[in-house]
Amino acid sequence: MARTSEYGGSAWRYDKDNKYHRYGRTVLITIASLLTFLLAWWVLSIIAAIPYFPTPERAWSAFQLLMERGDLATGLTMWQNVEASLYRFGGGFIIAFAVAVPLGLALGYSGLVEEFAKPMIEVLRPIAPIAWAPLFVLAMGTSLGPMMVVFIGVFFPLLTNTIFGVKKIDSHLVDAAKTLGANEYQIFYKVMLPCTAPYIMNGIRVGLGIGWMCIVAAEMIAPFGGGIGYFINNQAQIGNWPNVFVGLGIVSVLGIMTTGLADYVHRIISRRMGIE
Amino acid sequence: MNGHLELKNLRKVFRTDDTEVVAIDDISLDVAKGELVSLIGPSGCGKTTVLRMVAGLQEPTSGKIVLQGREVQGPGSDRGMVFQEFALFPWRSVRRNVEFGLEIAGVPKEERRKKVERYLDVVGLERFADARIHELSGGMKQRVGIARAMVNNPDVLLMDEPFGALDAQTRNIMQGELLKILAKTSKTILFVTHSVDEALYLSDRIIMLSKRPGRIKTIIEVPWPRPRDRAAPEFAALRKQILSELEKENVMDD
Repeated sequence: MARTSEYGGSAWRYDKDNKYHRYGRTVLITIASLLTFLLAWWVLSIIAAIPYFPTPERAWSAFQLLMERGDLATGLTMWQNVEASLYRFGGGFIIAFAVAVPLGLALGYSGLVEEFAKPMIEVLRPIAPIAWAPLFVLAMGTSLGPMMVVFIGVFFPLLTNTIFGVKKIDSHLVDAAKTLGANEYQIFYKVMLPCTAPYIMNGIRVGLGIGWMCIVAAEMIAPFGGGIGYFINNQAQIGNWPNVFVGLGIVSVLGIMTTGLADYVHRIISRRMGIE
Repeated sequence: MNGHLELKNLRKVFRTDDTEVVAIDDISLDVAKGELVSLIGPSGCGKTTVLRMVAGLQEPTSGKIVLQGREVQGPGSDRGMVFQEFALFPWRSVRRNVEFGLEIAGVPKEERRKKVERYLDVVGLERFADARIHELSGGMKQRVGIARAMVNNPDVLLMDEPFGALDAQTRNIMQGELLKILAKTSKTILFVTHSVDEALYLSDRIIMLSKRPGRIKTIIEVPWPRPRDRAAPEFAALRKQILSELEKENVMDD
C-alpha cells in the first residue's frame, strides 16, 4: 500500500517504521555497495593494465568458459572442484563438531576435567591451523589431510564457545529442575543442553568462517586431488590469471553461503531461547 | 504426628579457607498441614538458606528436616519451589514449562495435558498456554512459576521471595491471587519474604530470625481470618511492632 506513492510520481518519503521500506533500503544500499566494488575493480584493472589483474569482463568470460569446458589443466569440471572442497570442509566440520561439543560440555561441567585438559589445549591453540597442513597432507593424504586442517580450525572456537555456554547456565534453572524431580541425566539433557545450544551455535558460526579459510589454504598445499584451493594454486602456476580470479570469486560466494546459513540458524535458536 | 513439616535443630556453617560463618543456628520449627508460615529477618540472616535446605538444594551441617515423617535427603518433587528470579525455561512455552515436572515423572501425555490445563486455569493463564516466556510480564511469569511448582502436587510449597522482583502494584495483586489459589488447593507453604506487610497479609505464623547467625527470635501468630484488611488499625499496629523489632535487630549488630 505504502509503495503506491513510489509509482504515483508524488514526493516519495522513506518511512523507517515501514518494514518494506527498511528492506528496500537495505537491498538498494547492498546493490550500490556491490556496484561500487565492481566499478573500483574495473577502473583499477584498466589503469593497472597488467596480466595479473584482469578486468571483471575477462574474469566473467573465463568463468563462463570454465563452466562450459571445465578445468583443462586437470580435466576436472568446476563442480567437481567445488564438490571436493565442500566434501573436505563438511567432513572436517562434522568431526570437529562430534569432538568439540561433548568435550566442551564435559570441560564446562567438571572443574577437574577442565583443569587437566586446559594446559594441553593451550599448548595446541596458538598453532595456526594451516601450519599443520604440510604434515597432515603428507601423513593422511590429499583428502583427509585438508579435512584435518578444517577440523583444527573449527575445533577451538567451537570448544571455547561450548565451555563458555555451560558456564553461563543460570544456576536457578538447574535448581528449578532439581526441585521438579529431575535426575542428573534429565538435568543435562533437558536443561544444560538447551541452555548451551545458542553458544554452541555461535561457535559453529565462528568455526565455519575459520574452517572455510582453512580448506582453501590447505588445498593449496595438497599436490593433487582437486578442490577450489588447488584450482587457484594450479592456475596461478600456469599463469591463467582470469581463472585465478574465478577461483577467488567461487571461494567468496560459497563462504557467504555457509556463514549466511549458520547466521540464520543461530538467529532462530537465539530467538527460541528468548535472548535475541 | 501433627507436624507436617518439621525442622529439627537445623544448623548451617559455611567454610571458606580460614573462616567459618555460621549462617543458621539451631532452628526448630513445626509447620502444620495447610499452614502458611513466613520467614522474615534482616538481610543476610539465612532465611533463603533455610528454604534451600528444605528443598534439598543445600545440605544442613547438622540437624534434620522431616517431611510427612520421612527425613529429607536431597531435592525431590514432594517439595515444590518458587523462585524470586522465576527460573523459567525460556526455550519452552508456558504449557511446556508447567509440564516439566510431569514429563520428568513420566506421566502419560493425555494426563499431562489435563493437569496442565487445570493448573493454568488455577493461576489464570489458560489463554496464554502457548505463549513464550519472554512475551510475559513479571506477574505472569511468576504465575507460571507457581503453576509449575504446583502441578506435581507437592506436600509443601517453598516460596523464596516470590514477589520480590515485581513492582508494588503487581505484588499486591499476586498476593491476592496466591490467597485465591490457596483457597482452592490448601497447600502447606513455607514463605520467605523481606516485606513485613506481605508476611502479615498472607501468613498464619511469622517466624522472625535474628541477624547472622540466624536463630529464631520471635514467633508471631497472625490471628485474623483472610482476606485481611491492610488498612485495619490492628494490622497497622502489628506491622509497626514487627518493624521496630526488625530495626532493633539491624541496629544491634552494626
